[in-house]
Amino acid sequence: MAIVDPQVPVDRETVTDIIDCDVHPYLNSLEELTPYMDESIQRLMNIGRFEKKMLKNMNAGAFDFPKSRYNNPNYVLRLDAVTPDGGVPGSDPEFLTQDLFDRFHTKYGILNVGHGSMSAYHNVDMAISYSSACNDWLYDTWVESDPRYKMTMVVPTLDPTATVREIERVGQKSGIVGINLQNVNIPLGNRFFWPVYQIAEEYGLPIVLHPDAEGSGEYAPTQSVGPASTYTEWHTTLSLVAQRQIMSLVCEGVLEKFPKLKFVFVEYGFAWLPSVMWRLDKNWKGLRDEIPWVKMLPSDYIRRNIRLGTQPMEESFHPKDIVSLVQMAKAEDMLVFASDYPHWDGEYSPKVFAAFPDDMKRKIFYDNASQAYRL
Amino acid sequence: MSTPLLAPVMVRVCPVDELPPGRRLLIEADRLQIVITNVDGRLYAFRNVCPHQGAPLMCGPITGTMVASVPHQYEYGCDNEIVRCPLHGWEFHMATGKSVAQRDTVSIKTYPVETNEEHILIQLPRQPESFAVHTAR
Repeated sequence: MAIVDPQVPVDRETVTDIIDCDVHPYLNSLEELTPYMDESIQRLMNIGRFEKKMLKNMNAGAFDFPKSRYNNPNYVLRLDAVTPDGGVPGSDPEFLTQDLFDRFHTKYGILNVGHGSMSAYHNVDMAISYSSACNDWLYDTWVESDPRYKMTMVVPTLDPTATVREIERVGQKSGIVGINLQNVNIPLGNRFFWPVYQIAEEYGLPIVLHPDAEGSGEYAPTQSVGPASTYTEWHTTLSLVAQRQIMSLVCEGVLEKFPKLKFVFVEYGFAWLPSVMWRLDKNWKGLRDEIPWVKMLPSDYIRRNIRLGTQPMEESFHPKDIVSLVQMAKAEDMLVFASDYPHWDGEYSPKVFAAFPDDMKRKIFYDNASQAYRL
Repeated sequence: MSTPLLAPVMVRVCPVDELPPGRRLLIEADRLQIVITNVDGRLYAFRNVCPHQGAPLMCGPITGTMVASVPHQYEYGCDNEIVRCPLHGWEFHMATGKSVAQRDTVSIKTYPVETNEEHILIQLPRQPESFAVHTAR
């Protein structure tokens, strides 16, 4: 039985609505996808009527969904969000609206699949089929169930042609508000991705990056210098991935070529932003003729095209320091609120923004996301 | 009648043949340091101080640059019209003093320079009390 805390306050004095950019729906089982999946792929994955239980746990015994290899030593999903039926937190669309939306006064909750993408998985054919099934399942089961639900679509990141095809297939649907591209070991600025950016800009869909592929596939990006040993180390290094990707997007000219395209990095923190801006600006002033397509300060491109989810918010020694840091980076228009429900590192209440001035809160809770996503 | 102290003046730098193409000189007018250079017969004069951290532009290469372009197309231009800071590489158009990267906000001071039949002349903002010309920094 889930415990609903009626005391969680909503900051109604200053905020009327919230757009939550990171809500995680979960499959109870991969079997829920079989109605959306071609039989041949079901056979390849040994699911549905082809399920192979015998020797499943042996090395190379049966298909295993590419879950993160970094295991949270406690619980990766919050136990206060177990569904009334005792199900997986985030697996009951109706309960989630009560447990999260009603308490936070959420106008829109943007669903990023919690059970994972297959973006960095070695078998791209499986990833293509899984992505389509996943998008259809999420739309039918969640988006259609409550007008507050919106979703990002997953794509087979390693195949830009198939990704464009999938965007053409479902990207016009009104409940789809962004593209969950995932970080793989090809930097985001690389022209490999440009066909995806072209259609994304055309459809008005932002590119959303959210941790998952970083620990769950053979094409995962590196963690800067080498693999982390523990979940703690891995989780902390995620912010490095976003920093690296922003540098790539600026230097390769993506933000110049696709001026209307937004990139939303969700769950990578933001306290590192001044460093990225200042270092890039400084280098550009002396080295710009190597990247002559970068025509204005890198920090100006970042401010125009990059958005950052607030969670997990870095907790400064003094609560107001993080506010000063946002002002230092002139990032008031860049931050979008994310609860990360039902993950262990999510925000319990909008009260975590108590130190933020009202106008900044309005932007973070609503205005910035309403402009970044296709809502 | 003496020249007013704050009026611009033309000051004789050196005989024309002492600054052939490819060479540069350093002028010290009171505490002001100015680089004067001859690039393929064109004369430029600019302050010897990078506005970033103060490094001497006297030591900076004279070069061209990649002009602003669409992503992943390189277009070389402004050949021999740019001086780069010898330290961090900031670029300046020698004719206008404007920074290549930040043309609206950053610049170096430039000075009109000309020749008469025998000498190179530079226009300074006022009559200097001391004036010297060096071949090196």
